Amino acid sequence: MGTEEDSKEAPVELFCPSEEEIERWMIRAFDMAKEALESGEVPVGCLMVYKDEVVGKGRNEVNETKNATRHAEMVALDQVLDWCCRRSLDARSVCERTALYVTVEPCIMCAAALRLLNIPVVVYGCRNERFGGCGSVLDVSSADLPQTGTTFKCISGHRAEEAVEMLKTFYKQENPNGEKKHCTSFCFFCFFFH
Amino acid sequence: MKRWKGPPCDIDSWVAFPVLSDEQSQDVELVEVFAAPILDKKETSRIVRELNAFHPLSGLQHVKRVRPCREKPHPLEVLVCLVSDAPRGKVVSVDSLLPSGGVNCNGLGEPFVVKVPARPPLTRPQFELASQHWPTSFHEDKQVTVALRGELFSRHQKERMQAYMASAVTAARAGMEVGMEAVGAAVVDPKTESIIAVGHDCRHDRPLHHAVMVVIDLVARSQGGGFYSFDGYPACRFTSPNSLQTEAGSQPYICTGYDLYVTREPCVMCAMALVHSRIGRVFYGVASANGALGTKFKIHARKDLNHRFEVYRGVLSGECENLHSVDDHIRKDRGE
Ligand SMILES: [Zn+2]
Ligand SMILES: [Zn+2]
Repeated sequence: MGTEEDSKEAPVELFCPSEEEIERWMIRAFDMAKEALESGEVPVGCLMVYKDEVVGKGRNEVNETKNATRHAEMVALDQVLDWCCRRSLDARSVCERTALYVTVEPCIMCAAALRLLNIPVVVYGCRNERFGGCGSVLDVSSADLPQTGTTFKCISGHRAEEAVEMLKTFYKQENPNGEKKHCTSFCFFCFFFH
Repeated sequence: MKRWKGPPCDIDSWVAFPVLSDEQSQDVELVEVFAAPILDKKETSRIVRELNAFHPLSGLQHVKRVRPCREKPHPLEVLVCLVSDAPRGKVVSVDSLLPSGGVNCNGLGEPFVVKVPARPPLTRPQFELASQHWPTSFHEDKQVTVALRGELFSRHQKERMQAYMASAVTAARAGMEVGMEAVGAAVVDPKTESIIAVGHDCRHDRPLHHAVMVVIDLVARSQGGGFYSFDGYPACRFTSPNSLQTEAGSQPYICTGYDLYVTREPCVMCAMALVHSRIGRVFYGVASANGALGTKFKIHARKDLNHRFEVYRGVLSGECENLHSVDDHIRKDRGE
């Protein structure tokens, strides 16, 4: 990477994706969610982008790990840290210029994790009425928590109806015999009815 | 310089207090109500019956309608209506409050304003404060009352709790020796009185590896799951439960029925991770500035989340306090 490119870098405070970038990366996030839905997985698409490169993406891994904290965002954050490690880059300076694109509002836990890693911008589709940490249940994104990383900006509502529809379809699929399979925090039942 | 190992701590040196919801711990909120003296005691039951029909004081069912008066010329006082429901006017009289003839005002004196508790008391301290304003009924939760006195746990239970927190403290020290923040945690099965997992903060290797996140993954590993390897940290350990309990391993809410002991109050991420993991109860040593189980938020007591749990603060508080003050010194020395 040349010095010319480095000097073009905007100050961290001004970091924000353009309309065109949002459009482009949310298409990718929704494609991921659709793929997940087609293979019977929780339809949440989630990717993290640094300098126009996907440095982390994730899908919900709660059931296979038996670890209820393995939400797609946590998986993606782990990949970002690994990516930095492989390139011997300072995680903080990468995270400060990395945006998260996700089809559903991150939960309270994931929102706090994003703060702890100084992610500045989160673009999401539909609200998460059950667990949302960007205002739906608690506003972790802007709360006054000086020891819990930094606040982040939320850009919400991108293709929200479509994101909800996918969750609804997933719920119907999961119950062919009227019996509930593994219920994760992201399953539709937990999501809308608990 | 503080020594690491002192004599074993006495269980009388600490008290576990419950961390209650805002509704249970807030001050008594008051609302203004018109009251009037009952001048003729014989009229009381009729007045109360007619007032109940005319001004039912809905929402104030916890407040008694009539109170006895000791040091006043009249024997009793009765609540007439909420100040906010009274017709507006400069001169307030019984007739102006009860204009339409639904209540016969015989035997009632001139009205005055009193403040009564706006909500039913949920704890004994709230009940005692509320009763200073107006007689109030109280459906006591005995366990909460005993817990608020710090007397919920027996000596045997306190000994067990102290042993679990001591293992979290030991783990925290081991973590500190390898450069981590001095936070330790242990997950316990209270039915078998056994430790399932114990671990410490690993955030200098992995920023999100707070002690609570570490032990949640260790519990998952103990049941055949888990994602990370903490093999490099001998103080992060787990014990697989016996085969009788393996059916519990088929669901992701693997902390169901387990207790967590953690040396300091968890942050928002860790608190919500405990909700997702369906932890049974949480015990912590000392509060933390951005803590989410009492200090900044009460994640465990939110009605809008799908899992709630009891939280107690103060277990082995002296040792936990030492741990964190030593940790602060080290960080200051490092210039962090
Ligand atoms: Zn989440
Ligand atoms: Zn934490």
